[in-house]
Amino acid sequence: MTFGTILGAWVAVFLTLAIFSYLYKDNPFYKIAEHVFVGISAGYWASMFFWTQIQPNLFGRLWPASEYNADSFWYKIYNGLHVLTSAVFPEGGIDKGHDMHLIYLIPFALGVMMLLSVSSKLSWFARWGIAYTVGMAAGLRAYGFLNSNVIGQIKGSAMQFVGGDLPFFALIGNSIFNNIVILVGTIAGLAYFYFSKEHKGAFGKLTKLGIYFLMISFGASFGFAVMGRISLLIGRFVDLIDYSKPQYNHATIWILIAMIVLLGYNAFKDRGKNTPVSEDAA
Amino acid sequence: MKKIADFILKIGEMDRRWIFIIIALVVLLPLFFPIGLPIRPTDSTQTAYDAMDDLEHGSKVLMSFEYGPSTKPEIHPMTYAVLRHLFKNKHKVYITCLWPDGQFMAEEAIEEIAEQEFNLTYGKDYVLLGFRPGNEAVVKGIVSNIRKLYSTDARGTLTDKIPMMEGINKLADFDFIFTASAGYPGTVEWVQYGADPTGVPMSTGVTSIQVNEVMPYVQSGQVKGILAGMPGAAEYEKLVGIPGIGTSGMDAQSVAHVVIVLFIIFGNVAFFIERQRQKKY
Repeated sequence: MTFGTILGAWVAVFLTLAIFSYLYKDNPFYKIAEHVFVGISAGYWASMFFWTQIQPNLFGRLWPASEYNADSFWYKIYNGLHVLTSAVFPEGGIDKGHDMHLIYLIPFALGVMMLLSVSSKLSWFARWGIAYTVGMAAGLRAYGFLNSNVIGQIKGSAMQFVGGDLPFFALIGNSIFNNIVILVGTIAGLAYFYFSKEHKGAFGKLTKLGIYFLMISFGASFGFAVMGRISLLIGRFVDLIDYSKPQYNHATIWILIAMIVLLGYNAFKDRGKNTPVSEDAA
Repeated sequence: MKKIADFILKIGEMDRRWIFIIIALVVLLPLFFPIGLPIRPTDSTQTAYDAMDDLEHGSKVLMSFEYGPSTKPEIHPMTYAVLRHLFKNKHKVYITCLWPDGQFMAEEAIEEIAEQEFNLTYGKDYVLLGFRPGNEAVVKGIVSNIRKLYSTDARGTLTDKIPMMEGINKLADFDFIFTASAGYPGTVEWVQYGADPTGVPMSTGVTSIQVNEVMPYVQSGQVKGILAGMPGAAEYEKLVGIPGIGTSGMDAQSVAHVVIVLFIIFGNVAFFIERQRQKKY
């Protein structure tokens, strides 16, 4: 096993245990892990975004290798950029299989405008980029939502209630009874969110039934949430168990002991001071 | 009776850190001493399996990785199981990622399954197209012209030079979509912008917390079955016949659930006793 793999395991163990240590109380280990996570996530995302989209798909369409002409004004700008950084702007244009599309100067300009939000004087430029993004996203989402969530779901709730080869009752799977439950649940759930009529009388009873259906749905969501969290815990524990093996120089055991000793020493030093357990630890 | 009620109330006031320790123990112990509880595939897992099993050999399957290390324990086992199933049936797998971390998850999965287990050829049997930022806009891009969006694959090779990309120009050229999703952008976006407008059948594997959000699409037939979290992965592993990480975690999962249910019952009993006593005085 390489030194890099072992070192990676030690870092992973330290960060995992540091995050878990928050369950005891807020402490410097947790703070280190939290800040490292935020920093690395931001850096990783920015670098990934640049090398998978901006460089190949934006610059690659503005200065494609296929149309490289060292004498043209456009590629003279490129050659100037090449002097600055040859990794981003390699010699002879960017070869990512694109033709030249100067219309991409518009998204380029909008992107630059977004970055200007860091300047207090020029931050108003960012509104153009944001306005485009909001408008584009709203338009894009409207169609998808209407097609799949409204029409698709209405189609899906049109179910068979009589005849056919469906059994009347089945605990799991399709049955006439289950279809009736879905229909009643859908109508009652929708009725609960109808606020133009007071929830009284027969309508009130229907909306109350809707609440029960919603509560069952929330219960199912909670159950799934617990299941998900336990799965993640299992995943971390499986890794911690792996990293406690001799090939990783017992990383888990050593780091756990060191952390307990240091946290214990800290608690001993702070005895008498009433430090409550963080309210949101859970 | 009063003594029991007092005991329950006393336990109710216990420091929450004891609960963390108990949960840690009930998860850890079955990992060291497996019980071997039975795993029964649910209808939704079976539907997803059947949908992929019914594909003709050599079908073109687009698999999208929308998860990262934070949800790896839930989703990674299902991508392993699905990849095994697809490669066993000689399908061609095209991998895209809507999440940047998804690319690393995909690289790990194909290295282990495609290269080490099945000894397949990159570019002929599978291809990693990689991550593109843009969320649902990427799905829209794949729907209209995949080659415009993916002029190169994740390894920098021009897609025009990849043999298995021949005849692939848009989403409708695929026979099936499988998304391994842990949130936004993910399954919902693939349904809304990919599967529904093109009619390409799709199935999905999601984190447990997403199941309720995606289930309406499964009920309505817009998604062919769903693998729900780690249990979904374990069930799929059982159907494929190769137990993996999902199966080994199920004992711990089940025991932890029983203990959490007991905690909830205990907490509610304590609440009602306390309320009754408050009414009395």
